[in-house]
Amino acid sequence: MEQYLGVFVLIVLGALFAALSFTASRLLGPSKPTVAKRAPYECGIVPNLEPVQRFPVRFYLVAMIFIIFDIEVVFLYPWAVIYSQLRLFGLAEMVVFAAAVVVAFAYLVSNGALDWGPRKRIQPTVSYERTAETTLRRLPPGGRAA
Amino acid sequence: MAVIAGALAIPHISYISILPELIAMGAPMVMLLWSATTRSGGPGRWTAFTVVASVAAFLASVEIWVKVGTHPYTAVAGAILVDRFSAFLSGIFAVAMGLFALLAHDWAVREDESGPELPALGMLSASGAMLMAAAGDLVVVFLGLEIMSIALYVMAAMNRRRLASGEAALKYFVLGAFSSAIFLYGIALTYGATGTTNIARIASYLASNVVVSNGVLLAGMAMLIVGLGFKVAAVPFHTWSPDVYQGSPSPVTAFMSAVAKAAGFAALVRVLMEAMGTLRLDWQPAIYVLAVLSLVVGGILTVVQRDVKRMLAYSSISHAGFVLAALQSASAAGRSALAYYVAAYTLMIIGSFAVAGHVGGPGDRSQDLSSYRGLSSRHPAVGFAFTILLLGQAGAPFTTGFLAKFYVVSAAVGNGSYTLAVVAMLSAVVTAFFYLRIVLGLYGSEEPSTPEGPPGVLEPQPALVGSVGEPQASHGAEERGSVVVPEVLVAASATQVIEVSEVGAGTSVVLALCAAATVVLGVWPSPLLDLAKAATIIF
Repeated sequence: MEQYLGVFVLIVLGALFAALSFTASRLLGPSKPTVAKRAPYECGIVPNLEPVQRFPVRFYLVAMIFIIFDIEVVFLYPWAVIYSQLRLFGLAEMVVFAAAVVVAFAYLVSNGALDWGPRKRIQPTVSYERTAETTLRRLPPGGRAA
Repeated sequence: MAVIAGALAIPHISYISILPELIAMGAPMVMLLWSATTRSGGPGRWTAFTVVASVAAFLASVEIWVKVGTHPYTAVAGAILVDRFSAFLSGIFAVAMGLFALLAHDWAVREDESGPELPALGMLSASGAMLMAAAGDLVVVFLGLEIMSIALYVMAAMNRRRLASGEAALKYFVLGAFSSAIFLYGIALTYGATGTTNIARIASYLASNVVVSNGVLLAGMAMLIVGLGFKVAAVPFHTWSPDVYQGSPSPVTAFMSAVAKAAGFAALVRVLMEAMGTLRLDWQPAIYVLAVLSLVVGGILTVVQRDVKRMLAYSSISHAGFVLAALQSASAAGRSALAYYVAAYTLMIIGSFAVAGHVGGPGDRSQDLSSYRGLSSRHPAVGFAFTILLLGQAGAPFTTGFLAKFYVVSAAVGNGSYTLAVVAMLSAVVTAFFYLRIVLGLYGSEEPSTPEGPPGVLEPQPALVGSVGEPQASHGAEERGSVVVPEVLVAASATQVIEVSEVGAGTSVVLALCAAATVVLGVWPSPLLDLAKAATIIF
């Protein structure tokens, strides 16, 4: 267990430093709060609008595209460094891996990950079966709908 | 940074040894590409494709089983252990995958889903489970664990229109990620103590070295047990399982309760029995306590539930206690009892949740005990199959459940753990009460009072007519007193009257297979028993 002594000492030192810093700033620093100082962010413009709470859920697909290519690049870099030693084996493995990524990408695109425009209306807004008979409402002689 | 000169030692990869995993990973890829290129067609093609892939994976497992014989070997530079144990479990996972696809088909038809996602994720999850069972390295165990679990998190959330499904997925995800982290830490500590993550090398290191101050090693072992204890839902790491089982779509629950548990037990066998077999005296007490707690808590809490899916969740916790009791004995009898129990339990639990999926109806809403009343008069065959499966889980004679419990108890007795054997038998009696309560309900009379009220309540109300119906052309005053019922309401009340919903084709097949296997293999036990013994003979 001796080899873990250093880790333990570091943990204790870290905790001590944090505790000391907080106590010292509490004790030594003058406390003159103003409204501006108590604001969550002391710099920048004071926001006068609520931040937009909702954003289109389809952005999760963009995030997924980002992640699949991100992961591919993460693996491509070390692969490229030792490519000359991996030779044909490395090439074959990376082609298989890239194929899996392409399948994921094709699946995402087919599910509309890149269709960012307003959704196309499939159904016409006005029904073609509409006639004057259906549109106009006949009122009974009393003048009020039943 | 200097690049290492010369060629790297490239491992020889025997693709035939990992064929079941490759099939289970490749098939979803093909399916996703297929779904990206064609738009027409319902869920039937995905089901057919998944069943074909399952059969292929099963045949590949059989091929490995036959080929490996009694000479296990390692593949992919020691990362994969090819032996009859891994082939046995790959076969179980392939069967579970196919049964899941059939259940998912009925679910997709009912919920009007036509995408390939559910069966594709199921196959990916099964491939991770196969990897866990065949892992020859702790890192590969972790890899399989994550492949399996991440797919399961998504599958739990598959019912997007139901809030409980999302809640189940989030709970499962948070606790699952937490347990994975603990497991990973356990791997790190084990590596720190033994200098390797390879299971065979850990075993040989521990056999040839006496670790004097083994605090790090024991901490690592404890964390590995905790991480896998979460996956098999052993008490006290079970808290997620009732909520998750209840909230997930029923086919997913069936798959999760069968595959995730079996894979967790397989990994426990690999880690505790193979890698740390020499530390038996250190881990046996821990597993003993987990087994007793799971048997007691699972058994008692089963009885007080009213939601059948929650009940099955608690009863599967008690099943986990049985398997842990087999693991605890750390003997050849215990290992074969474990393999047998896992195989028998897989079929029984998938069949039971198949019934739950049918009774639950759209959105898995009606899971209360009262929904199961009179099931046998509505669907005699389903009621009969469910009775068999429940009796099997209770451990009634002439079922696989009886033999499974018998072998576990005899393994515990053979090890000298008499108290554990008594607790296991008492827990079996307590849970039998719950199973018999359902069975009595199945053959009881139907209760007329459902939460929604009888169909007669749907008397159309004038206010509704005003809002739903178009301005009625009630010319004159001929219908002044009577209320005109809009067609929407008529249709709604008509479907309310027809309570007897059709049993889906997939559910029927699954139920027939599971119930038949439970009885036939219980009456004629030697085939599965011999397989289970042969699967665990080499360690």
